[in-house]
Amino acid sequence: MTLDLENPQSILFLAFAGVCIGSSLAVILHKNPVISAASLVLSFFALAGIYAVMNAIFIATMQVLVYTGAIMVLVIFVIMLLSLREETNLEIWRNPIKQTAIVLVMIVYGSLLISAMNYNPEIGNGQPKENYSYEIKGPVTSVNVKGNTASIGASTFIDYLLPFELVSVLLTAAVIGAVVIAKRDKLNQS
Amino acid sequence: MNINISGVPLTYYLSLAGAMFSIGVLGVLLRRNAVVIFMSVELMLNSVNLVFIAFSKSMGNIGGEVIVFFVMAIAAAEAAVGLAIVIAIHRHKKTVFVDEINLLKW
Repeated sequence: MTLDLENPQSILFLAFAGVCIGSSLAVILHKNPVISAASLVLSFFALAGIYAVMNAIFIATMQVLVYTGAIMVLVIFVIMLLSLREETNLEIWRNPIKQTAIVLVMIVYGSLLISAMNYNPEIGNGQPKENYSYEIKGPVTSVNVKGNTASIGASTFIDYLLPFELVSVLLTAAVIGAVVIAKRDKLNQS
Repeated sequence: MNINISGVPLTYYLSLAGAMFSIGVLGVLLRRNAVVIFMSVELMLNSVNLVFIAFSKSMGNIGGEVIVFFVMAIAAAEAAVGLAIVIAIHRHKKTVFVDEINLLKW
């Protein structure tokens, strides 16, 4: 249960986890939204590092490309368009509702921590499998691939083919919806 | 049973994900700026992704990583629509502070 500090991956995990927690705290505590967005980018990079430590290479790459690339550019563009001012009063400590919220979240985190520490599964051997195999009734009898990315690709296009296609429909709907919502209303404008 | 992923126990990953999720919940509850609230929601989504990958690696099942891929796609869709709504609200009300937006209050 303890961390082996001789292992270089443990040290990498601790470093990335510290950066991740620190920059996440900076996101919610800093008054300036631009600094918050920059801290969020740092937090996502640290999370990508943790994924790489866990040997989930494909997801680490996607984290950098999608989150720190696409989504954060969108957020920063919106901050730039709106020219947001700083929050003048971050009166966290004087508002009784917000004090109650902090206490409740601390209680929730404590119970999360206790349940995570007591998690003791019977299944799994702790050895991450890097291969994927699937039996097919047809001219091709089976699919066998090795490696993280190849396994994810095979699993996406064999087990999760319908959700994958539905995600493409969802993305199209989201893009069209975003354009329609953000478009300037010409009738009300004049 | 002591499960390690790359030499780090599984409980450490779960604790980190719990901490990130709690920070995200605190951000949603404490901040007034809609864009920062949106970033806190992204933090919560990322902590859940970390849990998915930790269990995927510990159980030797690749399905969790495929789900994380889908979560990322849906987060991108949510980002596009959510930020468009923020822009539309800012155009009408000239503010993005959620306590000054009370259109649905009666």
